[in-house]
This record gives sequence, structure tokens and C-alpha cells, in this order.
Amino acid sequence: MALKPEPVPGSNLPAVISQPRDLVEPIVVANTLWQSSNPIAYNGGQASDITHLREFEASGEGRRDNARWAGPLEIIPTKADIVLDLIRANSLWPLLSGLACCAIEMMSAATSKNDMDRWGMFPFRASPRQADVLIVAGTCTTKMAGPLVRLWEQMPEPKWCVAMGDCTCSGGRYKRSYSTIQGIDRIMPVDVYVPGCPPRPEGLIYGMMKLQQLIKDRRGHWPERAIGPTVPEDL
Amino acid sequence: MTTRTPFDIPAHASSDDPRVTLDEQLGTFEPIPPYPPRTEREAEFYTLRDGEMFVNMGPQHPSTHGVLRVVLKIDGEKVVDLDPVLGYLHRGVEKLCENADYHQAICYTDPLEYISSLFCEWSPVIAFEKLLDVQVPRRAEYIRVLSGELNRIASHALFMGWFALDLGGLTPILWSFIERDEIVEMLAALTGQRMLFNYFRIGGVNGDLNHEFMSRLGTWMSKATNQINSNQALLNDNEIFVRRARGLGVMDTATALSMCMTGPNLRATGVPFDVRRAHPYSIYPELDFDIPSRTEGDCLARYLLRMDEVKQSLRIIDQCLHEMPDGPIMAKLPRLIRPRPGRAYAAIEGPRGQYATYAISDGTDQPFRMRIHDPSFVHLQTVGLLTPGNLIADTMAIMASLDPIMGGVDK
Repeated sequence: MALKPEPVPGSNLPAVISQPRDLVEPIVVANTLWQSSNPIAYNGGQASDITHLREFEASGEGRRDNARWAGPLEIIPTKADIVLDLIRANSLWPLLSGLACCAIEMMSAATSKNDMDRWGMFPFRASPRQADVLIVAGTCTTKMAGPLVRLWEQMPEPKWCVAMGDCTCSGGRYKRSYSTIQGIDRIMPVDVYVPGCPPRPEGLIYGMMKLQQLIKDRRGHWPERAIGPTVPEDL
Repeated sequence: MTTRTPFDIPAHASSDDPRVTLDEQLGTFEPIPPYPPRTEREAEFYTLRDGEMFVNMGPQHPSTHGVLRVVLKIDGEKVVDLDPVLGYLHRGVEKLCENADYHQAICYTDPLEYISSLFCEWSPVIAFEKLLDVQVPRRAEYIRVLSGELNRIASHALFMGWFALDLGGLTPILWSFIERDEIVEMLAALTGQRMLFNYFRIGGVNGDLNHEFMSRLGTWMSKATNQINSNQALLNDNEIFVRRARGLGVMDTATALSMCMTGPNLRATGVPFDVRRAHPYSIYPELDFDIPSRTEGDCLARYLLRMDEVKQSLRIIDQCLHEMPDGPIMAKLPRLIRPRPGRAYAAIEGPRGQYATYAISDGTDQPFRMRIHDPSFVHLQTVGLLTPGNLIADTMAIMASLDPIMGGVDK
């Protein structure tokens, strides 16, 4: 980002940079329901200054968190990171989100015959807040693109994305359609592509094992990715 | 009584514009649509009375069988009204078919009802054969019926698992996926693909029966009846399941007929209508099988009826294997197909009901227009009649018992 943040009086956060484009009116909901015993906790019950993810990205604040241990642990050599990566790679929790045909094969990969749980990738979470991996299974249409990016942004870091099927890799057999996104990497970063229409469950498991290798090798997108929007501006 | 109508969103915003979708729905995912009410029904639905509130269910939801979004208007735990929002899986199949030649169009219709793809190929193939006036070899017809009924069993097995999952039972889906995986693996030996087979061709099928398919089928058939019975005993003898599903979402015959329901959902209300008997196609007139029907019209009847259909499908497969004739599997056709100008309609009995294709030819090698009638779309309309008055948890149960597939609904 070329924009330079400025401090705001009364706030410990950098200023919000106004974009040249029209932003949606932010929703600011003040907490009136409960109070913490610590008066300065949770920003004193006040609404956060950050009201929009695009503004947050412009502030550069999110760039600091690269999901590594911080504080006194920074002096421990990178061995600690390796241990942390091993833990992350062996308990991947995918988001239970199926869009179309590939979702059936994704379910098949999770059930008895091809048991993904054996490699530590089973517990499909229905809430994005609890998920590590977004397996985009099936054709993503323009109408579904907004909710899907929203799901992706609701997932906490570190997070990874697996594009399952030809439709999400490149558009596949619906490449020429007027209503589909030609490749999910136009709207969100992708770590592993699993081609096939649809790929066999073994193919998905192979892709997830590749993702585990990526995490262990630290070649995933996430170390240099910031918290915040990852949507291209000109979509 | 206080009423409020929150229609203060700018009129220029359209939910069909991807930029608007990305920008505005990222910030807020209101159940209220971003445009003023277009019909009286919309104005009435999006006006809240005292004690009512909106709950947005979907599009990412494990229980809606895909990307259906339903806006529920609830009063406490009771559903007052609901408004389904479709189009999250609209892939423009009908338009794509107009720009593809007749062989390619079959590939586009394949992923519509993606757990029973063979039926999505079967209907356009019959329509194109009517346009071309082709006689399909008898062996090809037997292979079509054989593989189609296998696919019907796989589809109903998945229905059993999903229905139980939406009612809160996790075990049946593991069992039904074992059954389904065995069937799709043997179909993969026959067709080369596990889900989107693309096996039927205009004038026949793509390949003949092979050794691997027949040996897998023989092994499976020897234990199929026992295995299916033991799978169904998980639910049929389960008192909690039966008492939950009985009397839920009752559909009467007159409403079902006026809503154009077909397939198992209609037969569960007491009308033994089956396209295989009413408007016979392929070799079904020569086969001996029953049309099961029930009179209750509730969720349990719809479930039990599909389980009866599985047994009839096994009978049909058995007859096909015993009477399979020798001969060619493809009619003699030129590579480039140019049917005479005309129109053809072909309806078949899919696992969900009457699946039909209406094709218009203008004499070129591409269909001028293809209209696909999908039973899932018809059945999804009746959710609005069945659900109000029930609890939120029953919405999922009723929707699952109708067995809609969103690929077919949105096309």
C-alpha cells in the first residue's frame, strides 16, 4: 500500500485512510448488554475504531501479525515455529461448505471408505470461526462470490484455501458461462489446486496432504498475507 | 401493532451485479433484499408484525443441500412464513447448450442433478433422438436401464443418509456412503467417471459392459438385498426417527397435483403416477416392476416410499441382467448431426420425479433452444406450503424429505 497512515488523537490505532471509492456505510454497534469487570478491557465496551476491513488493510496494522510467536518467545530460535507448524499441519479443520457437485466427493472423502480423519483433517466445522481450511468444492457463481469471500474473511488466521475441481481451478466446463467465476483465485488466494471434474476423494486427500507439506515447508500464502480483505479492487 | 418496512436501500443496487454483491454483502448480509418490493407478496413478507423477526438461513448451511438461502420469518421458535432465495448455483446451462453442438450439450446438462447424472443425460439424449428419428439398439437400451437404475439406488442411498443427518442422526450417512461408493465405483468401471458420467450418447451408449463392471456388479448384487435391508433397519425400526418424521409436513393429494409434484413426493400422497408406466420410454414396458405408493403424504411416507423404490430397482436390474441381448451399442450416425427443423419433448422418471427436456432444432448442428424441466425446482416451491406453523428444526426435515438438489433448481 502506498498510502501512509496517520495517528488519530485519542486512539492508539493509525488513522483510517479514505479510499477514492465509495465505501459501504459501516455498522457500528456499541455494547450495551454487558460490562467487563476490567474497565479498559474490550476497548471499554466501546465500538472498535476499525469498522471496515478495507480501511483496516489500508492502515497497515494487520501486516504485523504473521501468525508467529511474539513477545519473549521471539528470541527462541525458529525451532519453535517448526513445532507450531507441525501442530497446525496435523490438525487441519476444514469448513463445511459445499457449493455443488464436488461437495459430494468431499463428503465421500470424509466418510468411512476414504477416511480423511486418518491424516488429521476430519472435523468439518459448520462455523468459519472455527475452521482452518476453506475447501471450495464446486462451481462458484457471481452471486455466490460475495458470501464465499465473506466466509473466507471470517476465518481466523492462519488459514488456507484449497480449490477443489475444475470449476474452481479455472472455470472448467462452465468457462464460457455468463454467471460463473472463472477460477476461484480471482477472488481469494489459493494454496492448493485439485483438478478433476470432480476429483476422486483420493485426489482431495492427496491435495490436503500437499497442503500439509506446504505448511511444514512454510510455503503457504499466509506468512506474508495480512489479515483483511484479499479481494482485487477491480473485480 | 407496530409495523416497519426497512426499504431504504438505494434503488440502483441490484443483487445480480457481482460488484454490488461483493461490496455490499461483505459489509452487511441483511435478509432484506436490496431493492424495493416488486410484488405484493414481497411487500407483505418483508413487513414485520409484533414479535416477529427474520432469520437468514444459508447460503452456506450444512442442511440446505447446497447453496439455497431461505429467509425465515419466525415468531419464537415457530416459522410464520419463509422466502427462498435462489440463484446461488445458476450456471447458465440452457444458454450454454444453445452454443454447443448436440454432443456437447449432453456434457453441460450432466452436473444438474449431480447425484443422479445419468438421468440428466438420458432426457436430452431421448429428445435429440426424437429430433433425429434414430432407432436405438436394444442392447444399448438395456445398458441404459441397468446403469440408470443403479444410479437411482445410489441417489436414494444418499437421500437416506441426508434425511437422517438433518434429523440429527450421524450413523446412517456413513452407511449410505458405503453403499453409494460401491455403486459409483462400479459405474466408474463402466463409464470412466464416478459422478458426472457423460456415458449416454445420441443413438446408444459410450462403451459396452466390461469385465470389471460385471464382476463388481455380481459381487454387489449377491449381498445387496441383505445390505440394503440392514441399512434401512437403522431407521425403519428406530422409534425416535419414526415418531419425529410421522405426521410432519403432510401434503394432500389435491395440493400435490395442483403444485405439479411428481415422482416419490407425489406417490407418497396416494397417486401412483410414474413416467415409466404412464408415458413409457426405453424398454420399461417389457419389464416387470411395481409402482409403490403410500397415502399418508408425510415425511415418513416419502422416506419409506424411496426405500421401496430401491427394492423395485433391484428387481429391474435383475431382469436386465437376465434378458440382456447381444448386438451393437450404437446406432449408425454421422459425426456431424443436423436434425431437421422441429421440436421434441422427452420426459423420464428420475429419482426425484419427472425430468424433462424440450429441444427445438432450427436445422443447424446446435439446438436452437433447450428447456430443462427439473423436479427439484417444483418440489422446492411446496416448502412454503408445508413449513409455516412448524418449528425451525422441522424446516430442514421437510426440505430434506422433498430431496431437492440445488444444481437442478438453479440450473
